[in-house]
Amino acid sequence: MAYKVIVVEDNQTMMDSMLNVLRRSPDFEVVATYKNVNAALGQASMFKPNLFFLNLENEEMLNAVPDFVDTFRGAYILGTMSQWDPLDVNQAMEGGATGCILKPFTAKEILEYLQLYSVRGQRKPAELISFFSPKGRAGRTTLAAILAMIIAEKTGERVALIDADLQFGDLPIFFDVEPKRTLVDATQDIKLLTPVTFAPYFHEIKPRVSLLSSPDRPEYAELIAPDSLVEVVMMTTNIFRYVIVDLPAGFNPITLDVCRISDIVFVTTMINSGFEIKHAKKTMEMFSSQDDGHRQVKTVFTRVNPFTEENRQKIANQLGYPVDVMIPNEYRMISVANSGRLAQGLPQDTQLMKSISGMADKVIAFGR
Amino acid sequence: MAVATKTSIERSSVIISVFSTTPGIGKTIIAINLAAGLAHEGYKVCLADLDLQFGDVLNYLKLNSVNTVAGAQRALLDNPSTFHIRDFLIDYSEGDVKFSILPAPLYVYDAYQTDVQLITDIINKLSYFDYVIIDLNSMFSALNLAMLDISTVINYVGVIDFLPALKNYKIGYDTLIRFDYEESKIRLVENRSDSQKLINAHDVERLLGEPFYHKLPNDYPSVNKSINAGKPLMFAAPDSKLTKSFDELVGLYTNRPEEKAAAETSSNVSIFSKIGKFFGF
Repeated sequence: MAYKVIVVEDNQTMMDSMLNVLRRSPDFEVVATYKNVNAALGQASMFKPNLFFLNLENEEMLNAVPDFVDTFRGAYILGTMSQWDPLDVNQAMEGGATGCILKPFTAKEILEYLQLYSVRGQRKPAELISFFSPKGRAGRTTLAAILAMIIAEKTGERVALIDADLQFGDLPIFFDVEPKRTLVDATQDIKLLTPVTFAPYFHEIKPRVSLLSSPDRPEYAELIAPDSLVEVVMMTTNIFRYVIVDLPAGFNPITLDVCRISDIVFVTTMINSGFEIKHAKKTMEMFSSQDDGHRQVKTVFTRVNPFTEENRQKIANQLGYPVDVMIPNEYRMISVANSGRLAQGLPQDTQLMKSISGMADKVIAFGR
Repeated sequence: MAVATKTSIERSSVIISVFSTTPGIGKTIIAINLAAGLAHEGYKVCLADLDLQFGDVLNYLKLNSVNTVAGAQRALLDNPSTFHIRDFLIDYSEGDVKFSILPAPLYVYDAYQTDVQLITDIINKLSYFDYVIIDLNSMFSALNLAMLDISTVINYVGVIDFLPALKNYKIGYDTLIRFDYEESKIRLVENRSDSQKLINAHDVERLLGEPFYHKLPNDYPSVNKSINAGKPLMFAAPDSKLTKSFDELVGLYTNRPEEKAAAETSSNVSIFSKIGKFFGF
């Protein structure tokens, strides 16, 4: 059955060109067109539409996205724009839009966008989670990988893993994959990409979990500009409901920029000599000093031994911040990661999996 | 290379940078014990902690200092004419062992403000030491590359217990070669070499096309003792195999670059080696 389409567009030339495409396709039936937001909101329900095209270059229309979402529940709301504007896209997604599309478009493109957006998951803004560690070797990558798989399993929504540990990213080896395209390609092409053309840069690890790899040579890291990376991460949020970024160790322009736009930052620490708590404290102080009230910075301690509430309190006292997540040791993890079998089988029913599962629940609850 | 001889006019230090491409595999422990070992042989040694954001040298030696490389950089920038690096060092001493330390900044913010050229100038001003040991972090950053450039040798550390770590060791080595560092300058040092592991050292050497220059045994209890006591291994665990292995590594670094160097301080060496024998290391 054809989509019942409403086009809301104040530019007549653009309107004509869109109608031209839509009317020639058997997949779409244009039931009404509007130049004005209020007319569309007031009248369109008469036609039982299930697909809207809203011109987001018009600020009034951009601001009306939540009203359309509210008024026409269940309908696809696609924002249209001549040039990809990550901030407008973000605003539309926060308003509950299905997604955005570049215009003019072909009928085939519309179907591709709709396919991409409908597998993404709930029509809600994505949740951006980044894993930070002060010095590295904290179990950050393992945790990010397992969390991604658990969230996908629990929600049925799409999860992206971005390996932004640009020089020494380990995620491809954890999953034993050799992706053809990496963050270098993505960041260099991003200005020309749309969600549909960007999606193939991801390598599907298993249904609903995809990876965007780090470069294969350390010196290629230099080719990645922090602002391009931010654009890549933002476009990823348009096609995935959850985006998990594995960051390089320490503070640098990349980690600061990604953490700035993140919803949750997990400061991950493994206690070894004991001084790691000191480093975590320094890190938390740094994040507190830049707190903008938007993102949550959570502390995670891995390989906690003994795995007790008493120990949690002890660490928290030294840290001066609460210990939000404790992950116990699990030696079997090393052999699983070593063999690149992370996607196939994790040691189930272990305390480790229970802890990460609990972490996933918190992440999921945050976005609802 | 030159050694502390009071008469020599031109001299420059041997700079040994301790580098790895995987974090948390013992760089700082190696740097501290190299410094202590060289000092024990009678050399003037300075250990520079250039893991700027989260350096551990002071932590591991239970020292505190308000003077850091960040302060040195400010002073060099503000008053280059009156600047002396000496004012920003702190000494570690125990028994006959004494070496200087250039501590890492205390605050992440300060670490963030560092300038590669100024730090290079500061390290060059340490040339009155016989040996400068530089503890780096695990990245190919502009600072680390500048330090590797001015280093005499790169003590490139790997722990081969985990596949990603091996991958990063190999990639790091290939990158160093691609960056035109001479193979003779890169010293492959395997840490925790005899720990139980799935990956064989021979396979690693075949993969790298280069044998390990030295292998440090796995000795977690001694390292733990050393960190808890805030002392180098020669004091915290004098009889351990790791202490002995560090002594051998120090031997390699003192004799190999130039035979003459050892000869000039031969009297010292023999005295210390006798003391060493007496104490069993």
